[in-house]
Amino acid sequence: MKTTYTISIFTTNTVGLLNRITIVFTRRRLNIESLTVSETERKGVSRFTIVIKSESREFVEKLVRQIRKITDVLAVFGYLDNEIVFNEIALFKLASPSGGKPIDAKAINLDWNAKVVHFGMDYVVVEKNGTEEEIGEFYQYLKQWDILEYIKSGRVAVGKTEKGLVEYLPEGNWEIV
Amino acid sequence: MGQAQSSTSEIEKNRFLTGAQAIMQSLVEQGVHTIFGYPGGAIMPTYDALYDYQDQLKHILVRHEQGAGHAAQGFARMTNKAGVCMVTSGPGATNLITPIADAMLDSTPMVCIVGQVKGNLLGTDAFQECDVIGMTMPITKWNYQVVDPNEIPDVIAKAFYIAESGRPGPVLIDITRTAQTDVMTVPFSYEKCNSIISYRPRVEPKKEHLQAAADLINAAKKPYILAGHGVLISGGEEELKAFVEKSGAPVATTLLGMSAMDADHPLFVGWPGMHGNYGANVLTNSCDVLIAIGMRFDDRITGDLNTYAKQAKVVHIEIDPSEIDKNVKADAPIVGDAKATLRALLPLIEQKDRSEWRKEFEKYDQEEYEKINKKELFHEGNQIKMGEAVNMLSEKTKGEAVVVTDVGQHQMITNRYYRFKKANSIVTSGGAGTMGFALPAAFGAKVAVPEREVVAVIGDGGFQMTLQELGTIAQSGLPVKIIILNNNFLGMVRQWQELFFDNRYSFVELQNPDFITIAKGFGIAGHTVKDRAELSNSLDTLLNSDKPYLLEIVCEKEENVFPMVPAGGCVTNVRLD
Repeated sequence: MKTTYTISIFTTNTVGLLNRITIVFTRRRLNIESLTVSETERKGVSRFTIVIKSESREFVEKLVRQIRKITDVLAVFGYLDNEIVFNEIALFKLASPSGGKPIDAKAINLDWNAKVVHFGMDYVVVEKNGTEEEIGEFYQYLKQWDILEYIKSGRVAVGKTEKGLVEYLPEGNWEIV
Repeated sequence: MGQAQSSTSEIEKNRFLTGAQAIMQSLVEQGVHTIFGYPGGAIMPTYDALYDYQDQLKHILVRHEQGAGHAAQGFARMTNKAGVCMVTSGPGATNLITPIADAMLDSTPMVCIVGQVKGNLLGTDAFQECDVIGMTMPITKWNYQVVDPNEIPDVIAKAFYIAESGRPGPVLIDITRTAQTDVMTVPFSYEKCNSIISYRPRVEPKKEHLQAAADLINAAKKPYILAGHGVLISGGEEELKAFVEKSGAPVATTLLGMSAMDADHPLFVGWPGMHGNYGANVLTNSCDVLIAIGMRFDDRITGDLNTYAKQAKVVHIEIDPSEIDKNVKADAPIVGDAKATLRALLPLIEQKDRSEWRKEFEKYDQEEYEKINKKELFHEGNQIKMGEAVNMLSEKTKGEAVVVTDVGQHQMITNRYYRFKKANSIVTSGGAGTMGFALPAAFGAKVAVPEREVVAVIGDGGFQMTLQELGTIAQSGLPVKIIILNNNFLGMVRQWQELFFDNRYSFVELQNPDFITIAKGFGIAGHTVKDRAELSNSLDTLLNSDKPYLLEIVCEKEENVFPMVPAGGCVTNVRLD
């Protein structure tokens, strides 16, 4: 049984770091399910959120230590799903030609907690936030219309602790952005 | 007139350095005095700056960039300071790949300064451009591309700090030609680096971890110490000796940890691993506490992990946290520098006599001696066996030489028969197993410690991989002593083909050149010995030479190295013949 792990990596903001990190996964023939990189509230600190699936907790622990070894990496954590609050965002472009089946904006909004964010000439763009499962169910619902494009982001996640980012980082003067 | 003069000196004073000059000045201020290198287009501005720094920086021109890398490694292994090499872009850089990978696996500090095409040509497939940063990312501890000369002092300072601290390793700095030729826009100032926020190796161990380890060790009836390269890197031989003697525990050293213990110390039991000693392997599975110090449980040591030391509690002292639990699960892990940790652990250890346990090794030693050593040292006939050659070398140098080996049968034989009496005396390619390592590495070692006898022991196969460095050795005039143990085979591969591939010798026999003529062509004297009766005199000639010298020892052709734990086998499953 494969378990989903979310790896949060805090790094200094340097060129080439993405490559350095993905090499650790490649060498171990580990597939990355999703990857998100963003800035944080502290100046010069980037945050990678990488989702993987693995059968072995020990394997993930070793992976985390190998990532920590990279010189520009400040801290690394491996989380199980119940240890984090996480979400993804999906955009759906649906065909809405005149005379076609009308888009049910109300149901999308109230039943599915999603929203139409753009009305084009013959199409609409719908945005949905949620877990992978929620987005998957929503996708099934939307299939009654013609889905022109579908895109989903990688996971973003924060740990379920009262700690702030600075408490994860090595002691230093971490200026807030 | 007076005014004109003062304004000139004012200009002189405020003249900012070019990037190339900044590289030179940074190296000088870092305390570097030797560079192994090879010039070429993209590094030429720095070589031009070097012209003015010749009295402060000794540059040694090698014959191939791989030679520069291995020489820097040999230098580093002797000094525990980063070996420095400098090469050009493209093929210059790619020729360094093997030494860099080797240094990464064997924790050897090295700083590689590599030229790169002009900044505006980056990514255009320019002449001699290659993505050296991308290529070396997985095999360097850190690498960085410099495009702005102002960055140079800080980047070089950081490079040396990363290379030399924690678990040492290679660092590569890729510097564009424009970053070398452009003038800095700020005054040059160099400050040695001693901390990086994202990189904080732990030297001093945590107290609570020490006590847990000490409790295990004190309660042990049969503790067994495996000492690795980390002991030598940290300079912790004295601490190891004190620890061994107080605990009364038998100690083996890994291939790279060899010489961390005096080979004649009563508690020294040899080395574990594929071609290590019989008892040192077998009793791994009898000890109750295994104390690993500055080593990483390489598969050539452990064999099959599922049957390795399962009965033992494991104390693992290691500076690289990613090595803890990587191969062997530790019951009492301690992250820290080997020397600092041993020093801190010593007062917590009880003085014990464990000579009964030490005695258990003796019957294995006896059997190994009867079945292997005796045959190799006291045989009939005129042909020379590798073991007796190394044994004689060990006696003649009183175990005090720096021994540099290549990779293969002769490497294993050298570590079996050379009895190291002095710390930090083995230079060998362990993790990577790089053939061609020994000749340039021996040269680098000799440059670092010219006062010590440096002997390279090389096979006939490996010698032909980097023999062009005979030119470098000849030009330097340094008396590097070179021994070729020539069996006309790629011996280790042949041995495997004999034992595991049904005697199917697939491309392992060599038609060798006349090595002595080759050496003479480079201006290096040498001779060949084939007859056992002349071996002693031949070694004397080699050792007495005050110039570089090559001794070709023609050995028995199809000799096998034993003991042997077959790859992936259990450490108790040792073949003695």
